[in-house]
Amino acid sequence: MDKSSPALSRRRSRRLHPMPIRVMHWINAAAMLVMITSGWGIYDDDVIVRGLHFPQALRLGDWAAPSLNWHFAGMWLLVLNGLAYLSYGLVTGRLRERLLPIRIADLVKTVRDTLHLRIAHEDLTTYNAVQKVLYVVVILAGASQVLTGLAMWKPVQFSGLVSLLGGFQDARVVHFLGMSVIVGFLLVHVLLSLLVPQTLWAMLAGGPRVGPSGHGEPAPLP
Amino acid sequence: MMRLAIFLPALLLNTSALAQSHTPGGMPPPSGMSLAQSTAMRFPQRVRVGSLLHRLVIRPVESQTVLGRVVQVVRDGDGTIELVVAYGGFLGIGSRPIAVPIDATVLLGTVMEIVAYTPEQLRHLPTFTGAGTTPLPADTVLRVGLAKPSH
Amino acid sequence: MRSPFRPAAPPDPAILDDHRRLIRSLQRRRLIQGGLSLGALTMLTGCDVRRPASVQAALLAIRDLNDSLQALLFDPNKLAPTYPASMVLNPPRFNAYYDVMKVKPVDGAKWRLELSGLIGDKRPWTVEQIEALPQRTEIIKHVCVEGWDYIGQWSGVPFRAFLERVGADLSARYVGFHCADGYTSSIDMASALHPQTLLATRYGDDVLGDPFGYPLRLRMSTKLGYKNPKWVTAIEVNNVRPDDMWDKPGYSWFAGL
Repeated sequence: MDKSSPALSRRRSRRLHPMPIRVMHWINAAAMLVMITSGWGIYDDDVIVRGLHFPQALRLGDWAAPSLNWHFAGMWLLVLNGLAYLSYGLVTGRLRERLLPIRIADLVKTVRDTLHLRIAHEDLTTYNAVQKVLYVVVILAGASQVLTGLAMWKPVQFSGLVSLLGGFQDARVVHFLGMSVIVGFLLVHVLLSLLVPQTLWAMLAGGPRVGPSGHGEPAPLP
Repeated sequence: MMRLAIFLPALLLNTSALAQSHTPGGMPPPSGMSLAQSTAMRFPQRVRVGSLLHRLVIRPVESQTVLGRVVQVVRDGDGTIELVVAYGGFLGIGSRPIAVPIDATVLLGTVMEIVAYTPEQLRHLPTFTGAGTTPLPADTVLRVGLAKPSH
Repeated sequence: MRSPFRPAAPPDPAILDDHRRLIRSLQRRRLIQGGLSLGALTMLTGCDVRRPASVQAALLAIRDLNDSLQALLFDPNKLAPTYPASMVLNPPRFNAYYDVMKVKPVDGAKWRLELSGLIGDKRPWTVEQIEALPQRTEIIKHVCVEGWDYIGQWSGVPFRAFLERVGADLSARYVGFHCADGYTSSIDMASALHPQTLLATRYGDDVLGDPFGYPLRLRMSTKLGYKNPKWVTAIEVNNVRPDDMWDKPGYSWFAGL
């Protein structure tokens, strides 16, 4: 169908997760793991939640200096990849297409369905309202991590940013909360991808072919 | 004589306090040393009673577990200066006051650590009633030893 | 006996400067190699990427690259926030790479501040001579690499005024510090000349206490705590980077705030 428009048919053959998305997703996964585990190593020298201390087995770096060096190396990967992801998402319209709109009614319905253990995942090509909220929250949390991270790294050069956040210690707390949000997301995200393995396969192989709107009829997996 | 009176209870407390902490920062008093002697080695600093009040009191361990908060500083019948700590509970609820000799504690920046007692020993300290003690006014200047972070 | 292989005169440190570009490109190559192996290793599951020498080298190379960025971000005219005296923590917080019981107080009467390197007048200074210089007080935050901070009130000689007074070459690249406890630290000249950088001799209303660096320490608002050496006994101005105790174990050398 529609053989008259080669441009359209090329777009029709687009995968749910085009190659750039898959590459950026897995780079981000590696960068996030480096940032989280090295961050725990840095955290341990002066805890924020009294009593909470991360064991060495979970930390990247034997002590604070290597953890810091991992963190400030991973930072580049995270920021550059994150910028590439956001630019790609904005230019191709993917971000708006996949994550918007978020309707309260949909949100309530999805939560109710989930509580009744009706988790609809047959159609990988559309996100339900809860998924949309989670993805938006984790993207915002990532951006917040970069800002609070900058504030802690350069509290004198960026003193305006620090006072906006309430102070140096407040920036640390917000950075810690951002990490908690991301780790929480990660647990749910990984758990669900293991429960519905097609999603994991889709992020590796590309997933079903989708129409130009991104909501096309699911095609059989290759 | 007065000095001996301070020294003896301290020595008694001291002997059982040594089995604990393995941390380099807030180390317990070295073996055979009184609390007062160990404070003398920790470069005791002048500090106002008022600035000790409400300070968080933590364990000298990496996880910086909270033991309680300073609620009062008193002098007991023997002349020993003691820190009254609202000990235990959760977020201050369900805590009870206990008295700890000030020489069993150290300053760690804005917080304090109890270095000469294990949590087990603290649990067995009697609830502080105030009997036989005199509260110290906020502008009294004391000397408290120092520590570095425990890691 | 002197080794026949050793040149009669040591090589001019300026050689390093002449070949800086070459050294840079070599470092860049090491960075790319290291970065690639770092990336490859991260992809391999079950492989312990935490220790191999190539990974460590790559991390240190990236750290040094980040240090260059830190130097670029440093604004010599940007002042750190200052605070009212009511917020000052008294006594200040102690920290060192050893416990407080190991602190060895310095005898102020015997103490001398030695000067070396690119300095015109290298005569040593006594405590009284330093206290006689014009003083300045800063109420600034001390930020430790560990994450804690506190507000402190430090008084002493502005370091810029001191360097000018002794005829230091202010166009030199580095200033190095040696301390009574063996600690060493070095900083870039731009940070040394920052208006809030002090050779501090007092805290609050008192002479600096023994655990805090009596009789003289460096206090700067623009670098992390470990770049504020205590018990300073010698200062050196140089174009070759002087020793820095925390550089080798892996902390950032620039450590700017």
